[in-house]
Amino acid sequence: MPGSLHMSRLRNWFLASPPAEYAITGLKELLIGALKQGPVPQHVAFVMDGNRRFARSHGIETVEGHNLGFEALARILEVCYKSGVKVVTIYAFSIENFKRSKFEVDALMEMAKVKLSQMAQHGDLLDRYGAKVRVLGRLDMLKPDVLEAVNKAVDMTSRNGDRVLNICFPYTSRDEITSAIRDTVEDYTTPIQQGRTAAAASRFSESHIAHNIRAQTLGSTTHEAHSDSESTSGSSGQDDDTFPRHDYSDRVYGSMSSCSSSTTLHLGNQQDPKGGSPPRPAAEADSPVYISPETISRQTLNDHMLTKGTPPLDILIRTSGVERLSDFMLWQTHENTEIVFLNVMWPEFDLWHFLPVMLGWQRRISKSRQDPNAEGNFAGDAKLSEEGSDAMLWSQGGKVKDI
Amino acid sequence: MVSQRDREILRDDLRARGTKLSAAERESLLKGYLPDPAELGTKPAPQPTASERRKAQRKTPIRTFLKSQTHYLAYAFTHIIFGIVVRLLQAYHAVVDRIFAIVYHHHRTPELIRKDVKNLKRLPQHLSTILTLRKEDDALAVLMDEVAELAAWSSCSGISQLSVYEKSGVLKSCIPTLHQIITTKLASYYGTPSHQPILQVFAPHHPVHRSAPISNTTDNTAQHQTLTILLLSSTDGRETLVDLTKTLAEMSQNGKLSPEDITPDLVDAEISEITTQPLSMDPSLPDTVLKPEPDLLLVFGPFLKLDGYPPWQLRLTEMYCTGGRSHGLSGDGEAVEYQGYMRGLWHFAGAQMRFGR
Repeated sequence: MPGSLHMSRLRNWFLASPPAEYAITGLKELLIGALKQGPVPQHVAFVMDGNRRFARSHGIETVEGHNLGFEALARILEVCYKSGVKVVTIYAFSIENFKRSKFEVDALMEMAKVKLSQMAQHGDLLDRYGAKVRVLGRLDMLKPDVLEAVNKAVDMTSRNGDRVLNICFPYTSRDEITSAIRDTVEDYTTPIQQGRTAAAASRFSESHIAHNIRAQTLGSTTHEAHSDSESTSGSSGQDDDTFPRHDYSDRVYGSMSSCSSSTTLHLGNQQDPKGGSPPRPAAEADSPVYISPETISRQTLNDHMLTKGTPPLDILIRTSGVERLSDFMLWQTHENTEIVFLNVMWPEFDLWHFLPVMLGWQRRISKSRQDPNAEGNFAGDAKLSEEGSDAMLWSQGGKVKDI
Repeated sequence: MVSQRDREILRDDLRARGTKLSAAERESLLKGYLPDPAELGTKPAPQPTASERRKAQRKTPIRTFLKSQTHYLAYAFTHIIFGIVVRLLQAYHAVVDRIFAIVYHHHRTPELIRKDVKNLKRLPQHLSTILTLRKEDDALAVLMDEVAELAAWSSCSGISQLSVYEKSGVLKSCIPTLHQIITTKLASYYGTPSHQPILQVFAPHHPVHRSAPISNTTDNTAQHQTLTILLLSSTDGRETLVDLTKTLAEMSQNGKLSPEDITPDLVDAEISEITTQPLSMDPSLPDTVLKPEPDLLLVFGPFLKLDGYPPWQLRLTEMYCTGGRSHGLSGDGEAVEYQGYMRGLWHFAGAQMRFGR
């Protein structure tokens, strides 16, 4: 044992010497640059597991283990963002973790607070690099002082867009899915207002359509279906009037499968709060009218998840050799996500462990692009059709934000 | 990479809860490591200082060209090396797998299978598998045979709950045929029907298909073992959650439910019900109770991907991929083999498989 200890000390001394440090840095830069040449995953998630076990096996305090884990996180974030990964999601704290010892929970919270408030001090740096921090989870379970730090950091970076760091703070995936369902139900329980009510109330009855055709051909001003209050809509108001109805018909009839309709739905939802609602004065319907629940699709739920607007998850990595998801990204880890379990504690995690995963992914992707018919392919037809919509939404979401 | 000296400074700062360094000090410490923001979009810069950056801008064309060429070369080089390593590993694992396949063979004998799992510390109560439909003409027949084999193995090793996920859902459309095939397979393992376990096959929203109850013979006592097989497809995944949302939204619109009532427990209860309680035709039959969350998920494929497996149930499921060790780059899906199945069980129990039983 003393021999090995001596050796490791010697090795550490050597690695810490400037020339060795310079060489390793150079090699890392070269490898990251090389990774950039191939296909790069857009969204990578990490479960940072093993801090406590690492601390125990190395005879240091648990809190120190978490600190080392934070250093590992910084290391790997550097690798990810430099090699072109757009979104990194990390599992920092599970709702279940509140059951741990108070001392440890407090220490973790303290660390999060310190780190986040430190980050907030470097606002201009973050702006320059376009990094955006989002905290996903049950923020209401946090203590007020931590929550304040979280809000400050999130607000500060909310306008940046290029690289995103999702921190799942008090998070479980089941909680996320349930919230998404609840929010969707709430959305659909809110009565739709004005212009659309008329269209929805009639539910595209034959008489209504016939009436519309008549109205269009004759340009008449009789509007029985719109008895609500808008008797003034003349032929000039006609275009104004038909547009939202057309939009709505898309929503009702194209709901189940087609991506395009869900896209319009998505955009409609996005624009609504910005004042995209019809400009005419409010016209109250007799009874509340709702959007048909049949229009709920996978995309609708996707847009209510905490990870909305991010590209689909490509790789999920869990360290420490535990081979389950533990309530993380259940919804997102869906079809083509590659799950990797590594037998290394998180504080030791580095480029050297990450590299084989990335290389394997790149190899598979480039192979399946060459030969899309091969079985077990990754970015084949399914990806293009299914995930294409996600990607489209991603870009469109970006556009909406730009506007 | 952060140099040792700077790391120590940062660690000290962290220990003092971020009070030791001021914001400006930290920023100056960081400066050396930040890439040039202008270059971030195109390529990473090796930490230029301010003066270097100015020079670099002047010489940009050649330097950029050289750098991109170097990176491209490095990319090609690492992938060649990686490819060789992967091939070697694959060859190694192929050999090991063959040896396992010879050493561990079931010979269609329940006793042998029982012996293989005898020393394991724990067994999954509910085993789940992901199978893929291949592209050949007889793909369905092959798939059904695989399901039958799996059913026989798990029944022999004492796992009474098995769920089989196949993305397209072809299996659901031919439950009676599948039931017949599995019964035949079980007969080839167990022999006479009186020794076979009671087999029930079902899928969500489908009635349970049960083997005909054996007439009340004297050896009714040996008949208590059952095998429940649940067939899943991609529609039981996200689509089910969408359906649930639709129903809840409708109820909420009709004022039967307030959105605040939607809790993880409610969703869990609803989702679990679908997979645990089949539409039973015969009320006299006892409820088939299936553990909603599988304990072990065996993925017979080149690498670990869920391929649309129902997400809700997977919370604490251990996952094992039979092709996972070789970074799974062999183009086609893995065959369902007894040694792979056994490896999964041994892995689940935290044991190492050895050559020689």
